[in-house]
Amino acid sequence: MKLTRRMMSAAMGIALATSLALPAVAQDARADLSKTSVIEQIKEAGVIKIGLSLFTPWSMRDKKGELIGFELDVGRKLAADMGVEVEFVPTAWDGIIPALVSGKFDVIISGMSVTPARNLTVNFSDPYAYSGLTILANTAMTAGMSIEDYNKPEITFAARRGATPATVIAQLFPEANLLLFDEDGAATQEVLNGNAHATMAADPTPSAEARKNPETLSVPFSETFLATGESFAYRKGDPDASNFFNNWISINWKNGYLKERSDYWFKGTVWANQVDQ
Amino acid sequence: MRHQKRQRLHWLDYLILAVVAVFIAVIWFRISGSLNYKWQWDRIPNYLLRWDEDDQRWYTNLLLQGLINTLRIAIYSSILALILGTILGIARTANNLAIRMLARTYLEVLRNIPPVVVVFIFFFFLSEQLIAALNMEAWARDISRQDDIAVWEFFFGDMRRFPSLISGVIVLALFESAFVGEIVRAGIQSIGRGQREAARSIGMSWTDEMRFIVLPQALRKVLPPLSNQFISLVKDSSIISLISVQELTYKTVELVASTRMIFEAWITTACLYFILCFGLSLLFRRLETNARQ
Repeated sequence: MKLTRRMMSAAMGIALATSLALPAVAQDARADLSKTSVIEQIKEAGVIKIGLSLFTPWSMRDKKGELIGFELDVGRKLAADMGVEVEFVPTAWDGIIPALVSGKFDVIISGMSVTPARNLTVNFSDPYAYSGLTILANTAMTAGMSIEDYNKPEITFAARRGATPATVIAQLFPEANLLLFDEDGAATQEVLNGNAHATMAADPTPSAEARKNPETLSVPFSETFLATGESFAYRKGDPDASNFFNNWISINWKNGYLKERSDYWFKGTVWANQVDQ
Repeated sequence: MRHQKRQRLHWLDYLILAVVAVFIAVIWFRISGSLNYKWQWDRIPNYLLRWDEDDQRWYTNLLLQGLINTLRIAIYSSILALILGTILGIARTANNLAIRMLARTYLEVLRNIPPVVVVFIFFFFLSEQLIAALNMEAWARDISRQDDIAVWEFFFGDMRRFPSLISGVIVLALFESAFVGEIVRAGIQSIGRGQREAARSIGMSWTDEMRFIVLPQALRKVLPPLSNQFISLVKDSSIISLISVQELTYKTVELVASTRMIFEAWITTACLYFILCFGLSLLFRRLETNARQ
């Protein structure tokens, strides 16, 4: 039988129609799956996938290129307590919530502060860490300024796009300029170069940066802003996950594990020789 | 009569080079004066290859791992883009109006949307459906749990990140196939009608005509723009770092986040991309001269 053009185009039409129907079938399968809890999915797969974004000292790459940090310890303990393997999915911060919602991983453990805007898209557990934000300023440019002086149009702040410091700066210092960058390193570099007066970051980063560049940078105020706490983020509509994560966090506060790990990574510098800082 | 281009350096050439050198030096001093940055170049080699004391051997570290992943992604998606693009190019010259229109629509949509947007749309809407439908994650995880996976790791890297690698390869291939399709269409249309009519007159079917007469000549003719497209694909692969595929750009972002060595890391990455792309362009130049003979 000769392969006529009509047959070819008919075959292509059928293929096109079935390929358009396939995502609809997959859609049903996904909807069914999301009715059951993420805890069940984790138990079934035998692995918990944790999304995180690199941010010193929550999670970072050491000299060997391995992931170390506060989040890694918390994630490994969580997986050990659940009896499953752990898989860390490094993700760009800008897309970490959409990635969670579209199912790339099960939970975000990445030092994500609880904000109402985020809470509309994802659920948060109870806080597992409390780290406030402090101001890191260029000493020469901000000499003798009080905190009200920062709220003027001549003042420029630099911050990481999408991170909480950016929103807090916009709230507390609405008159000042705000420059947004993709990484904290770039924001701090702007302050070092003198293109921005100050930046804000979660402790202990500002103190560490001021220690590294004592001639140029300083932490002018000891007060911390917005110590609302950081929590796990997971998909909405999952009461089992809420119950499990909240209880796990509460237990690990009571038995001192979270406090001990938090002191090790945030207050101490024992780990500094493993990383190039 | 053509003028022979001068091959030896004249005093005027030395003057021009001196002016350029002075210009670069002035810019360098202005930059380093205002930049206030502590250079730490001695730490970079450790992130390319690191010497492990316990195992007494060299391991590739972040940047080389990223480079190898970029190479894998570039090769796989260019093979896929070539196949898809050839089909598209043939479809663009088909006699059937519906096929021509569909191909034209696909091409125009993907050529006129910036690659970043295409990548995000594909990643958040389509790739998850695809991975769920094929049950790729469970399959990849089963493989990564086995003992002897050296062959898998050679071709695909860390098997746990296999679904994201495939997402990156597919979206890059879909995007590039639009451009390859146009190139192939131009190649096909450059084959004279006389040849195609002669093929028909001796009784060749359409598939035979394509296979033996048109495609071999067309593909050989469009080898220069195709190789250009391949090099462009290697550079475009840096866009899929936005969807967290573990290739060179993403590894550099991780390195900067962990060590704050912004300039050293990005300059090193730029050099690595340059070595890769320039090496490829030299290779293609060799291939083109061979094909022309």
